[in-house]
Amino acid sequence: MAVAEPYDVIIVGSGAGGGMSAYHLTKSGLKVLMLEAGRHYDPAAETPMFNTNAEAPLRGVGTPDKPFGFYDATVDGGWQVPDEPYTVAEGSEPFIWWRPRMLGGRTNHWGRIALRFGPLDFKPKTRDGLGYDWPIAYEDVAPWYDKTEKLIGVSGAAAARNLLNTPDSPPGCLMESAPPRAFEIFYARAFKAMGIPVIPMHGAVVTGQMEGRNTCVFATPCGRGCAIGANFQSTTVLLPPAMATGNLKIITNALVYGVDLDKAGKAKGVSYVDRRTGEHHSVRAKSVVLAAGSGETARILLNSKSSLFPNGLCNTHGMVGRYLMDSVGTGVTGRFPAMEGLPPTNDDGQGTQHTYIPWWGYEQQKALGFARGYHIEIGGGRHMPSMGMAGLLRDDDTSVGDDLRATLRHRFGSTIGFDGRGEMIPNDDCYCEIDPTAKDKWGIPVLRFHWKWGEHETNQAAHAVKTFLEVIDRLGGKPEGHVETDGRKAISKGGEMIHEIGTARMGHNDADSVVNQYGQSWAVKNLFVMDGATMVSSPDKNPTLSILALAWRSADNLATLARQGAL
Amino acid sequence: MSDQIPQAYVSKIDRRTALTWIGVVGAATAVGAGVVVYGPKTGGQPSTRGYGTDPKLAKPEPAPWSRIMVPAQLQTAAILADFILPASGAAPSASALGVPDFIDEWVSAPYPDQLRDRPIIMNGLNALVLKAGAAERAAALAALPGSGDPATHAFWKKFRRLTIGAYYTTEAGFKDIGYIGNVARASDPGPSDEVKAAVEQQLQKLGL
Repeated sequence: MAVAEPYDVIIVGSGAGGGMSAYHLTKSGLKVLMLEAGRHYDPAAETPMFNTNAEAPLRGVGTPDKPFGFYDATVDGGWQVPDEPYTVAEGSEPFIWWRPRMLGGRTNHWGRIALRFGPLDFKPKTRDGLGYDWPIAYEDVAPWYDKTEKLIGVSGAAAARNLLNTPDSPPGCLMESAPPRAFEIFYARAFKAMGIPVIPMHGAVVTGQMEGRNTCVFATPCGRGCAIGANFQSTTVLLPPAMATGNLKIITNALVYGVDLDKAGKAKGVSYVDRRTGEHHSVRAKSVVLAAGSGETARILLNSKSSLFPNGLCNTHGMVGRYLMDSVGTGVTGRFPAMEGLPPTNDDGQGTQHTYIPWWGYEQQKALGFARGYHIEIGGGRHMPSMGMAGLLRDDDTSVGDDLRATLRHRFGSTIGFDGRGEMIPNDDCYCEIDPTAKDKWGIPVLRFHWKWGEHETNQAAHAVKTFLEVIDRLGGKPEGHVETDGRKAISKGGEMIHEIGTARMGHNDADSVVNQYGQSWAVKNLFVMDGATMVSSPDKNPTLSILALAWRSADNLATLARQGAL
Repeated sequence: MSDQIPQAYVSKIDRRTALTWIGVVGAATAVGAGVVVYGPKTGGQPSTRGYGTDPKLAKPEPAPWSRIMVPAQLQTAAILADFILPASGAAPSASALGVPDFIDEWVSAPYPDQLRDRPIIMNGLNALVLKAGAAERAAALAALPGSGDPATHAFWKKFRRLTIGAYYTTEAGFKDIGYIGNVARASDPGPSDEVKAAVEQQLQKLGL
């Protein structure tokens, strides 16, 4: 059963890109060594399913050790990882970088929102002259979206709507979502009055019967991970079948910092440092796949310097690290007297939102003052109480005893949060490079980020806030706290949406891109990139489903090339 | 609030936690099964360690940092927590749910938000400890919510916020507020007809 050298492929990273690559390559009969920078992680044993906040230190609130709360699945990470700094250039707008150090990477805690990119998303420049077109079209990826949805389990089935740039999945790809909850029925009516469609969310959660998978138990948040594997995580859905082929070996705590080349300029393997022991190792394979996450993948390439590539591997044209993108994030929370005093109901739901609002403004884009758009993710309902419960009270409320109990009971579940997630157009001010001086604990140079939102993004953020305020008003509600209507202030920080992509983009040739449409690097034919780094644009749709579909497509091409002896 | 002298607050920390504590802070006196009252924290080095970036999640361990509140402060916290949320019908009082211990855990924590809250809470509790006579205490409590003194006002808001959060995150709190989730279900049928009708009625009032 033990897989030994020589390996056919080394995969760096075990998240969406790495996991999917390993799934397909091992099933294709290739011997694979996977290197993961974090520790081993066992969702079945480690997930805090059904734990209450009272069982956690500080009732589960976020701390610098666990920024998204005690029960968030992230291990050894967050906006900072111990011993592994990054820097932001002087004069740059803020940029923050979320990293875990665990098997399965960010697939363990992600929001499970699994929307397909649409036809316009692959050809944005053709549509409005901005940004860049992908070297592939929606039709090239559609079959891989179908396969991916059927493999990972996605809810949100509905009759075809044919909304512009919002692909319907073919019959048989999706499972039906649970019905809308009270707050979802409620908000939908305001959007309807505004002529904006509300449709089922596509969520990577098994809501029906699926061969080999457990069905969701409609309780306990997905962000903690899932002990029964009812949602998609690389660690529950991709790595176990890859291991079962007998073709996969995984080494954890292996922080890869360089791709090693042979004399002919082909990749012969990678070098890594063991994060626990500090020992350095080099491992060999016939091909190398980088899927370490867009930032880390760019860092590995840029740190792989040789006489052939003095500025970093595949970086002869200075393209590595360029066109870094994130999603545009905005949010307003409203409180709604109309939702007060409802009879108790179980709003735990299926983890993702049951419904959402896809971008509706394609036809009005010229009048709006920004290109591209955003979808709206909406959360609310009677969620498990947290330390924020006093937020239900008015600021001047001083009640105690039965009055206090009655007020809280009456208002429980009456707030609704509206979040915009929008497209960012790549620009020359957003990129990462190697910091000239800063190094991590093991002496490996670290990334320095540069960030600046463009006007299309800040105008979009202002539009989103205006939309949320109108919806809140139509629903008879009031926004909570101070609402920033200036888009430059309302917009999220760079990296904050944890959708950083595009540092080794795909294209038509080596002057305009780092890899081809299959993630194969132009400079080194047996070196591949299979994570979000290859993305050319950053549509409003959350990137994970597309990372999975593109990795599968790329891995299939790699397997074919390997079979042909073309690597 | 009656003038009757309230029962002394007995810490609700369980034995496992208590044993961890003994190792950290020294002397503690066990009273009854699984319930302890702490003596003065003399000797030993207080721990200001956080739980780190990889704590056990499925079975969380008790917070590793030492507690800083002394018995008099815990007693005051109990009186104040029960002023905010006394027992009512089937719902227990805040102190019966161990809220004072939680306040102690919170103000003792080594993280920035909690360190910011620490002086606000501790100064407030110390001020109330000084007014611990029954009549004075009742007057002090009654005056708290409307206090115009900024420090007192900040203490009141913060303490009440922590008490409410600590209370409603417990199973008893769930019951009191009407949270009926966190149970495995074979399917999610969506809201009942009764809930849907109530929402519909509200939507009609809004002209939607």
